[in-house]
Parts: sequence; structure tokens; C-alpha cells
Amino acid sequence: MTINRREFIKANAIAAAAAVAGVSVPAIASNLITSSDITKLKWDKAPCRFCGTGCSVNVGVMDGKVVATHGDIKSPVNKGLNCVKGYFLSKIMYGKDRLTTPLLRMTNGKYDKAGEFAPVSWDKAFDVMAEKAKDALKKDGPEALGMFGSGQWTVQEGYAAVKLMKAGFRTNNIDPNARHCMASAVGGFMRTFGIDEPMGCYDDLEAADAFVLWGSNMAEMHPILWTRLTDRRLSAPHVKVAVLSTFEHRSFDLADNGIVFTPQTDLAILNYIANYIIQTDRVNTDFVNKHTNFRLGETDIGYGLRPEHELEQRAKNNGETSGSSTPINFDEYAKFVSTYTLEYTAKLSGVPEHKLKALAELYADPKIKVTSFWTMGFNQHTRGVWANNLCYNIHLLTGKISEPGNSPFSLTGQPSACGTAREVGTFSHRLPADMVVKNPKHRAIAEKIWQLPEGTVPPKPGYHAVLQNRMLKDGKLNFYWVQCNNNMQAAANINEEAYPGYRNPKNFIVVSDPYPTVTAQAADLILPTAMWVEKEGVYGNAERRTQSWYQMVEAPNGAKSDLWQLVEFSKRFNVEDVWPEELIAKKPDVRGKTLFDVLYKDSAVGRFSLDEIPEDRLNHESRDFGFYIQKGLFEEYATFGRGHAHDLAPYDRYHQERGLRWPVVNGKETKWRFKEGSDPYAKPGSGWDFYGKPDGRAVIFALPYEPAAESPDEEYDLWLSTGRVLEHWHSGSMTQRVPELYKSMPDALVYMHPDDAKKRGMRRGDLVKLISRRGEVQTRVETRGRNKPPIGLVFMPWFDASRLLNKVTLDATDPLSKQTDYKKCAIKIVKV
Amino acid sequence: MTKNTLNTASEYHVASLVAYPIFTQLDDVKAAIVAVDGTEIHATSEEGKIVFTIEGNSYKDIGKKMDLIRVHKGIINLSPVYHQVLDESGDDKVAHNS
Repeated sequence: MTINRREFIKANAIAAAAAVAGVSVPAIASNLITSSDITKLKWDKAPCRFCGTGCSVNVGVMDGKVVATHGDIKSPVNKGLNCVKGYFLSKIMYGKDRLTTPLLRMTNGKYDKAGEFAPVSWDKAFDVMAEKAKDALKKDGPEALGMFGSGQWTVQEGYAAVKLMKAGFRTNNIDPNARHCMASAVGGFMRTFGIDEPMGCYDDLEAADAFVLWGSNMAEMHPILWTRLTDRRLSAPHVKVAVLSTFEHRSFDLADNGIVFTPQTDLAILNYIANYIIQTDRVNTDFVNKHTNFRLGETDIGYGLRPEHELEQRAKNNGETSGSSTPINFDEYAKFVSTYTLEYTAKLSGVPEHKLKALAELYADPKIKVTSFWTMGFNQHTRGVWANNLCYNIHLLTGKISEPGNSPFSLTGQPSACGTAREVGTFSHRLPADMVVKNPKHRAIAEKIWQLPEGTVPPKPGYHAVLQNRMLKDGKLNFYWVQCNNNMQAAANINEEAYPGYRNPKNFIVVSDPYPTVTAQAADLILPTAMWVEKEGVYGNAERRTQSWYQMVEAPNGAKSDLWQLVEFSKRFNVEDVWPEELIAKKPDVRGKTLFDVLYKDSAVGRFSLDEIPEDRLNHESRDFGFYIQKGLFEEYATFGRGHAHDLAPYDRYHQERGLRWPVVNGKETKWRFKEGSDPYAKPGSGWDFYGKPDGRAVIFALPYEPAAESPDEEYDLWLSTGRVLEHWHSGSMTQRVPELYKSMPDALVYMHPDDAKKRGMRRGDLVKLISRRGEVQTRVETRGRNKPPIGLVFMPWFDASRLLNKVTLDATDPLSKQTDYKKCAIKIVKV
Repeated sequence: MTKNTLNTASEYHVASLVAYPIFTQLDDVKAAIVAVDGTEIHATSEEGKIVFTIEGNSYKDIGKKMDLIRVHKGIINLSPVYHQVLDESGDDKVAHNS
């Protein structure tokens, strides 16, 4: 009998893998994978909780516990595949140290910033929190309150948070960790196209003739997309792959043209390609004349450091005008890029001339359909917005855009960096659907949808992520709530700019997390959080695909979702506690009401009844608040974008689909935006219509190469680049708790060139210190691993909480996007 | 033929995977896969995608074998697809089906 059982499940396993590989399936059909009669599991779909790819997984529940997940064969994204993180997805909820009670720092039963963590009830936790928030409000006004959120929040959580902070507490000091990840991409899109997010979609993977990876290690960071790219490369021999990075990594295995360049010189390479296209007379003149404008951007814009820093003192244009530009014509642009000759660029970048030329030819040849992918190499860059702009330049010069396979494609790192952080607008300067707080018309739209009086939303952009840490340190931000991220590990220069603010006696810090992360341990109050399928939610992936899921299991007793926490907390404030009398006078019926009433229950959010939720479906939040809150939040939020090129389908439809790519117009998703025939918003007869700009034209920017904020010198003689590895996701707070993933990659090592190690008298495995001007971290040397840096550069991932690499990094940002450059600073390495 | 790796432990694990080799190294990669205990190749697509299973007696065992294969230079990508556990101590039970 047992042998039969073994044979049966093995046949299932083979059938599933065969279906994925597209080879003939043996007699047992692939639908047996989810056959409940054998497994006794209840299956439902959910998007994966890790990266921005947005794979769909089938989740199997038995006895109230997720015991199984497998790639969803019906998903157009992953087509049944898993990556190693997704493979172990179900285990993230069951780490041994899962938090189940609020923990408050106390001495003798009372809150004390210097006290030890002790369990308290939710009531007591919210009492102390509300008292601290009200104190800060009374003393210094709304600007003393702030929140740091996440691209891992569900759409509903992000939206509820924006409403609570921007309308309830009337502060724009809310920012997501997507600031560390996608802000430069957002800046690039807004500047070139006037509307956020990629025009293409993953279907480009099967249509392109060439792929160029700019600062993206897809093999490890987006393994499923990499699998699709690999598949395309293997099945179509003419397909070429170019991979650019400052060190060699796993994605180079597939590269026809692997290019290792000196940090920051990607800006010059991009301009060289534009110059090459012009010099070889391959500009798509018709496209350029009809659909683009040329502008010369402001230069010498500084490095986003504190104003007293010498680099900021020296910069000429690091003020309000840093993002400004003036119109130029094609000839002026051509002259501008003409300095980026092959010889000059090869010398500056350290890349052999033939490699640069082969790369440029992929873009220049009108017969080759090119998809460019990029992630943190471009975005975590002190000229990140520029890098994005310059990449669009080469696609626009050749008209290789918005068509299958012709696609400049910014990939995302988090499951809902697009859906939540960007589309909902949880940034300190944004509102939903690409609107911004400083625009009075946009504020008026938000106030109308929210049924709130004119003047509720403050016009001044709030503190962005890096500024939040600085303001905490300076004692100007005093009540601070962190949800769904681990910023004490993730922020740059934590010794000097993060930890001091959390422990500043003036401040009260709340951290919501499922696990006792480094950030949680630096807080004053920790709130235990429900995660993933312990709640209902929506995520939006990197190709504009919106995906939903239902709650499938109960959270551990005591843990509550971020949504529940936000909304329940709002009950602690009467409107009179937070709004001035003149604002209340404009809408007197809010008098005596709580923020819960005004923002949620009595607004459009509260209009769907519990009757819409079947009795056998879990939904903790809705049953607690008395209405179908996830649907209400989604539908109210969706009104911002409908009719404005951000159209979302009705909420219930997402539960029937494996996601839909917005804009969803007349029930149909949009694959390629800005192209007539494919995008319903592109005007008839236009061909292409970049409707984010008033004249329908995208902008080609003349922007130069400018050096990094910090480069190696005699004392600090190595470049340090940070990043991630396949096995761990971001700070490792979830994946480090999965034994199989921990075992596979337990510690963060420093990858260095064998000659660099030898020169310093080091051998593989030696214990060493990485020292910068800001701090130091200890680790071991790896000279043979999967990452192979060139001489003069080292790479170390940051997932390891026992080795806080960000004590070493520099908090320089792109002055336009405010995103930190984690890829470039100067260090030295010494033997311990 | 599957090499028998099962010992007296009461759990039986099976995982299926797809390996994407560099085409010119297909034979090398196949040899490397079957050199690992408990593996079996079931199909290879025209493009060279290899469908194989790993059997073992614990998560750790399967994970270790996966790691042994993944480091091969000729493998561009290794995608786990499915994992199921059979508890043979008493009732049949599925503990993880990935």
C-alpha cells in the first residue's frame, strides 16, 4: 500500500514539473496536484508574498494551518513555477519566535523608554500610543507625527494608512520603504512620461530579440522572470542577452555580452549608446518628430545629504530647482551626447570598446526588438532618476517602446511596491493615482472623494524616508509608527542616522511586525502582526497586475493585521483631538465623531455589508468593524483612478482572476500602454500617445555623467556594493526563519576578488572588518562564490541581522527621488 | 532507476524540479543530477529543460540535494515545482506540498 502511495505522489510531482517544462505529461493528469480527496487540503489562490514579480501560488490549508503551496499553473506570470523562496513560502508564518502580544518598554508596570519589553494588552498598547500621539500633536502639531510603511502592505492597508495620516492626522509624514527601492523609477516615469509605471508587461519576455539587464541580477532577485527569459533564450537561438553590473553575478551565466563597469559610469554608457544611434544614423526620425520633446536638465544637483555636508555646500543646484530643465532641439541634444565617444566611454567605464559597441548595436539595429530590465542598479543611485531618463532616451530615439518586445522595463522589488506604495500614493508627496499633495486641484479631488472639508489635506510634502530618520534624531518627529518593514536594518548609515532617532528620549516609536526584528527591538512598543493569508488583501505587481486573495487561516491568537491596527487605533481620536476648529466648522456634522467614523465607517469605505462575506469565509477585520472593509477601502480607492488611465476592475472580479493589468477599461486589461490599438487611452490616429504629458509627447533628456558621492581613495580603497541573494528576501526577517533557506545561505559574506584578498594577506574564510567613515561590520571573506567582483570592489548582501552592513553605508540619496544609493561607498577591509 | 536512499525514518519526501541547463552542457548537467542520491530524470524537453525528481527522508535531505545540483556551472536556473511528504509512521498525511 505504501509503495502505491509513494508512486502516486511521485507521479503527481512528475506531472506538475512536466506541465511546467512543457513536455508530455504521463497518464496521471496534472490536476491531481490539487486533488483534495488524497490531500484533504482546502486550496485557494494568493499572490506570493515576496518579490515584485507577482507569482500566483496555490495555498493548501489543513486543520487551520497553511501546510502547502505550489506554483499556480493557471497564472500567466509564473505558469506553475516556483522559486526557492516561493517554494518554502508557507513556512514563513510558522517561525518559532512569532509575536503574539503587544510588548511595551516598562519599569514597575509603567511605560519607560529605558525599561524592558513586557507584554501588555492591545487596549493598554493603544492607550499609551494614543496618549503619546496626542502629546506630540498638542506640543508641535501634525508635523511631529509620522509613519513608515511598506510596499508589502496590501493596497487596502496602504490606503487606510494614507487616509489616517494625510486626512485624519493631517500630516504628510508618511513614506513607504519603497522609497529605498522604487522612488527613482517613479521619478523617471513622471519626468519622461508624466505617468508612473511600465508601459510594457511580462509578455515582452516571449517577444523580444534582445534583453539588456542594467543593474539587475534577475537570476537571483526575479528568478521566475529569469526562468521565462532563459526559456526564450534557449528556445530562440537568435536571442541575445547583455548583462551590465559593477560585478559578475549569476545572471552573467546566460550573457552573450557580460559587461562589468566602474560604478556610476552607467550614465556615460547610456549617453554613449544615444550618441552611437545618432552617429550611425539610426534615429527613428518619424517617431522622434511626432512623439518626443528634448530638454536639457539641471546639473550639479548634490547628493541628498544633510545640508551642512561639504558635498552639499559645494553643489550649485541642490535646491528646489534640481529637477528643472529647459527645452532644446534635436541638434543641441546630439551635440550634448557627442562627447560620449566610444574611446571616452570605454576609458571612463573600464569596459572594452567591442563590448560597448555590441551593446549599442542591439539598440540601434531597427530589426532587433529590445527589452531593457533594471532594478536597484539604476534606482539606488545618486543619479537614479537620470539613469531611468537616459534609458528611456535610447528607447525613444529608436521608437522601441510600447510594443511587444520593445520595452524599457523597470522591475520592482516588493510584492506591492507598485500596487500599494506607488498607485495608492503612500509617499510623503503623493496622493492616489499619481496625484501630489502640493497641487491644490489634486488635494481638492482627494477631499471630495473622502467627503472631507476643503483644506483637510496639508499642501506641504512630508518627510521622506531618509529625512524621517534625520528628523527623529533631531527631535522634530516625535511619534513614529513603523509597519511591515525592517528599516533599522535597511536604512543606510544606521549608526549615525537611524538608531539615535529611535532612542531619542523625546520620541515614541511603535513597530508592527510578525517577528522581533532589529527594528522592533529598537522600538518602544511592538505590535504583533498578522501576515499574508492571515488576512484578505490586494497586491499590485511590476507589470501593473492587480491580484487579490481571501483570508485563509486565522492569525496566531493575539496577532492582528496592519489594517486592523490602523483602523482600530483611529477609534481613539475624536475629530476635535486632531482638527482645528475652523476646519470642523466647514463640516459641522463631524463634531463629536471619531476618526474611525469619519474616515472609514461613515465614508464610502463603510458601504458594503457583511452579508457579502459567506459565513464559512474568514475575515477578521470586517466582522470586527461591522462592514466589508477590504471591499470598501478598495472601491473608494479605485474611484481615484477610474476614468483617469488608472482604471481598476470591480473588487469582486479580482477574486475570480489571476490578476488584471490596469487600466482595465470595459472589462479588458491593457498589456501595452501608450500604443494605439493596445491602450484604450491612446487617441485614435496617434500611433503612440504619451498622454501623461499634456502634449502627448515623451521627453528625451540631456543629462551628463556626474561622479558618485563617495569613491575609493588611498585610505578607504575599495568600492562597496550591497544587495540581495536568491535565498533571502530583503532583511531576511521572514526567510531567515525558514530553516532550509537559512541553511542554504546562513551568513552574509563579503565577496571579493582573490587578488584583493591576497594583497591584504587574507584567505577565503578569514574573519575581517569592513570599515567606512561611518562604522564597521565584521564578516568572513568569500573569494570563490557566486558573485565575482572585479579588483577594487566588494559585494556584501544585507539580509543578515547579525551583521548590520548598513552601519557602513552612506545615506547619500538621489536629490530628485530621495532614494538612497546602496551601491556605492568607499571602505577598507582589515583582518581581525 | 531511482537509487534507494530511504532509511528507517518514517517520512518519505518527493520533490519535482525543472533544470534549465546551458544547452551545450546538457549531458554534463544530466550526469550531475543523477550523481546525486535519490534523483531520477523523467523527461527532457527539446530546449533542454530537464524534469527530475528528488526523493529523500526529510526536508533537510531534499534541500541538501537541491543545493548540490544548483551549484553546477552548467545550470542557468533550477526551479522547484512540487514537494510532498508522506508520513509512513501511521496515517498517511501530507505535510507540505509545494
